[in-house]
Amino acid sequence: MTVLGFILKNALRNTRRALLTISSVAVSSALLVSLMTLERELTVPPEAEGASLRIIARNKVSLMQPLPAKQLSAIQRIPGVVTVTPFTYFGGLYENEEFTSFAQFAVDPAPFQSIIVDGPVIDGSYEAWMKNRTGCLVGADTMKRYNLKVGDQMRFRGTFYPCDLDLKVEAVYQGTVDDRNIFFHHKLLDELTGDPGTVGTWYLRAESAEVADRVIQQVNDTFANTSAEVRAESERAFQMGFVSMWGNVSNLIRGVNLVVVFTLVLVAVSTMSMAVRERFRELAVLKALGFQRRDLFGFILAEGFGLSVIGGAVGIGGAWAFWTFSDIQQMTNGFLIVFEVTPRIVGLAAAVASVLGVVSSIGPAISVGRMSVVEGLKTLD
Amino acid sequence: MAADPIVQVRDLSKLYRQGDIDVTALNHVSVDIQPAEFVVLMGPSGSGKSTLLHIIAGIDRPTSGDVLVQGINVGNLSESDLATWRNQYVGFVFQSFNLIPVLTAAENVELPLLLTRLDRKSRKQQVEAALQLVGLGDRIHHRPDQLSGGQQQRVAIARALVTDPVLIVADEPTGNLDAKSASDVLDILRSLSSRSGKTVIMVTHDPKAAGYGTRSLHLEKGEIVA
Repeated sequence: MTVLGFILKNALRNTRRALLTISSVAVSSALLVSLMTLERELTVPPEAEGASLRIIARNKVSLMQPLPAKQLSAIQRIPGVVTVTPFTYFGGLYENEEFTSFAQFAVDPAPFQSIIVDGPVIDGSYEAWMKNRTGCLVGADTMKRYNLKVGDQMRFRGTFYPCDLDLKVEAVYQGTVDDRNIFFHHKLLDELTGDPGTVGTWYLRAESAEVADRVIQQVNDTFANTSAEVRAESERAFQMGFVSMWGNVSNLIRGVNLVVVFTLVLVAVSTMSMAVRERFRELAVLKALGFQRRDLFGFILAEGFGLSVIGGAVGIGGAWAFWTFSDIQQMTNGFLIVFEVTPRIVGLAAAVASVLGVVSSIGPAISVGRMSVVEGLKTLD
Repeated sequence: MAADPIVQVRDLSKLYRQGDIDVTALNHVSVDIQPAEFVVLMGPSGSGKSTLLHIIAGIDRPTSGDVLVQGINVGNLSESDLATWRNQYVGFVFQSFNLIPVLTAAENVELPLLLTRLDRKSRKQQVEAALQLVGLGDRIHHRPDQLSGGQQQRVAIARALVTDPVLIVADEPTGNLDAKSASDVLDILRSLSSRSGKTVIMVTHDPKAAGYGTRSLHLEKGEIVA
């Protein structure tokens, strides 16, 4: 027999309790991993390769306020701007849906081609879309979800705009951080809305990452003190603006995480206390046989740590496998695009499980250390 | 000329505090025990016999006085040194056997050897020898719940002697056994004293069991009266 074998036999002496402890730690760890991943997905937007070059200019007052279309030529003249397109959110509902999880944007297809560089066309033809004013460019995820093919018609009911869209799928793209969106001609939107001479935002591409900051500054300066001042920012900063709206949700998730961890500590401490309490007498015998306080402390610590770590490994591994091999878009009806359990989250959850094992063992170990042999031998079985 | 006593108890007192009252468990007890003696401690409940046994065995501390085992003043040892001392010098046999239920007979006997520097093979040899000595060579892989009370107590004796201690202390070792098993256990303890030269100190209420010892000490109200 080895000391490790002795610890293992003790840990598994009450198989049902050991399994229940492992299960409770596993379920809580899986919940912890899932909540931390959810918080991350809601608060840290995915970063695309070309994001550092892309700039979004919106109305300084509010995102909901349009910008005058006549700003285009002024933006085009700014040194370092490679291309610029209007970029207007349509916000329609697809067919008979009550909620549509993908966005539709009106753009100018020609300049837009050099902006959407992360997502090459994989089906149909970009040229065909450029030529067809009622055509659209559709993300591969949406094509798959609605079982669409090139040439199919898509109908959207307007919610922001008092008009509907009838679009023909001309091209399909794939490879961006969000392959769900649909793009259509801004000219079509202008036509349907009586050409009000406005756009939602401007989408720019800078020449290089080095000049991007200067371009942003210059765009802002160009329209300073006009009736439509703009706020230009990098694509990443723009996304972070949306993220800040999740601030309270993030705190809520963190609060739930704390409750999960605290509950887990209570369960583990209670289990270890019971496990040790019921063998106080045996531990007293071990002391009588010559085992030191530190030996007994080590046995209890190893047992608590072992159960927590096994539970943690099962829970974290299970959560990782579940979220890695699940279709999160389908599960959340397109609300979430990715749900990545990162190494940092795995590491954090593993650390929680490990600390839990130590914390749950300290109390029982101290009481065993303080116990005199005679007192322990008097304990009833 | 008589050999030097293996155990010397000098003016030993033990007071317990129960609420606001001090209870005297041992009152200035002195006694010498010679090597290979089989000493039986008898007396009514609360007479202090178990307390005396516990202090001699180093699992309890005296309030005053000294206990010397082979010249070592047990009361002066630190908690850590005392644990090591117990492992090397004392074998314990308890009334309720106190075997670890999830371990086999052999593993239970091996427990004290885990604290020694012996390798696995040597430990195995010593465990088998100890179990052979108590007549359980064919039960080494049985767990306590697969053994009778008498067999469990013999495993406990094997565990007590596997480290080859000079002193074996037994606290009512036959209290939970039937007459036949009790007789077997007492025969083993007597043989350990007479043939193996171990010093055995046993607490018992049973006058029959006391007959196995080479000397009986009667305690009453914390004092040796006979």
